[in-house]
Amino acid sequence: MNRIATVACILLLAPSLTAHAAAIVGSSAPPLELRDADGKTVRLDAYKGKFVVLEWVNRQCPFVRKHYGSGNMQALQKRYTEKGVVWLSVCSSAPGKQGYVKGPEAKEWMAEEKAAPTDFLLDPKGKVGKAYGAKTTPHLFVIDPKGKVVYNGAIDDKPSTNREDIETARNYLSAALDASMAGKKVEVAATQPYGCSVKY
Amino acid sequence: MWAPPMLLALSLNPPGASAANVEASLLSELSAVARSAPFHVGIRMKIRRGWHIYWKNPGDSGLPPRITWTLPKGFVAGPIEWPIPHRSAENDLMTYGYDRDVILPVRITPPRTLEGDSITIQGKLDWLECADVCVPGSTELRLSLAVSSGPAPPSPDAPALAAARARLPVSPEGWSFSAEAGPRAIALDFVPPKGIAPRGGYLFVDKPLVTEHAAPQGFERTGNGYRLTLLPAANAAGNLARLSGVLVIEDAGHFKNRIGVNLDVPVVPGDPAPAPVKTERPGWPILAYAALLGIAGLGLWIQLYRARRKHSNTNR
Repeated sequence: MNRIATVACILLLAPSLTAHAAAIVGSSAPPLELRDADGKTVRLDAYKGKFVVLEWVNRQCPFVRKHYGSGNMQALQKRYTEKGVVWLSVCSSAPGKQGYVKGPEAKEWMAEEKAAPTDFLLDPKGKVGKAYGAKTTPHLFVIDPKGKVVYNGAIDDKPSTNREDIETARNYLSAALDASMAGKKVEVAATQPYGCSVKY
Repeated sequence: MWAPPMLLALSLNPPGASAANVEASLLSELSAVARSAPFHVGIRMKIRRGWHIYWKNPGDSGLPPRITWTLPKGFVAGPIEWPIPHRSAENDLMTYGYDRDVILPVRITPPRTLEGDSITIQGKLDWLECADVCVPGSTELRLSLAVSSGPAPPSPDAPALAAARARLPVSPEGWSFSAEAGPRAIALDFVPPKGIAPRGGYLFVDKPLVTEHAAPQGFERTGNGYRLTLLPAANAAGNLARLSGVLVIEDAGHFKNRIGVNLDVPVVPGDPAPAPVKTERPGWPILAYAALLGIAGLGLWIQLYRARRKHSNTNR
């Protein structure tokens, strides 16, 4: 029964799965145009000339909780936005799914968490999430001032929900930002992101 | 560290998730241990319907179960032996894992000398259980076994553990494989041993950033064998020197029989064509199922028709 359902699903899904958009390291970042938590339209190309971090978020996912509950994500946001990096948190949870937020709830949550991104973007249709190939929360992307993807993947190398792991983990995101902001090549530019699935 | 306690509680218990949807325990194939005689234990995970746990490569999201052993002096635990996983597709994302009760076998090797009357094998098991939401799980597993001077008899759990081991993927003896990868596709050509007639196949790649897990895989007959075609991952560059994982074959000769074969082969650079549009084709099991449904439906209709006639007769 299960297998038949699987086969049927695959047959039904097959046409929609053939097109694969993604953020490929070394290539131009897919376009991004979304409303932020205040209802203002935000476009990626408005940030040309700056480093941009895209962080996929679902406030109820235990992996996101690991990095916000420990203060790790807020510290990264603060450290890099102070250096002129544009940090965009993106929520692609569909209405009714875990993590879905409207603008006011997103702002409330950010205030509670003392989150410090440049902006919080709402992607309830998952258009931008799918264009980037965002798979998990968290899933991080770094875009350089020319608009090229320089990092796509996990926040760090300790895939777990344990906060204690943060201290000993190798942070891929800050390594990528530090290297590319210093004009150096990013050593680890693509990793498998870990977390909850994005709730498209 | 400065998270309000309420949020901590939220993170442990997201909405829609109860505390434990997976129950884990440790079992042994032997009722006692003997020196230098390796045996298998099994991590049994009972999974609530609608929930799942993950394979060693979880796919697009999730985490595989992990165990940290605390063993008596001289004992050595092998790696988890992963049973053939299942696919779970959801919203353009694909994960690999188990949605029914599963036993993960692990080989334990006792030392050459054993002291005392009994030993205790302990392990801390961490896992991620998911339905539409995910909850981390963790438990301490414990198993005490008597020390035996001679060969130890099987335990009552031996048949369950033997059945679990029978579901492990097998070594690729008798199979031949070759792989080619290019910008558009990864192709795996294979010839099964005589007597196996695949009517479908799927490669569970066990490394990250090799293939797009959610992309359908092409399956077709070739001159002397079969070809599976996979879509390379968006950032697969540098990860395509080898292709490894478990090839799962649906065999025409055995209804519902899944054969899993371990493979790890070098990849030749090339430019194989993308997967053919028509991918997995329902074979005769789905037709048989449709026919059964049809017969059942007809039976039901006849019954209802009779009942109705009877009803209208008594009313008259």
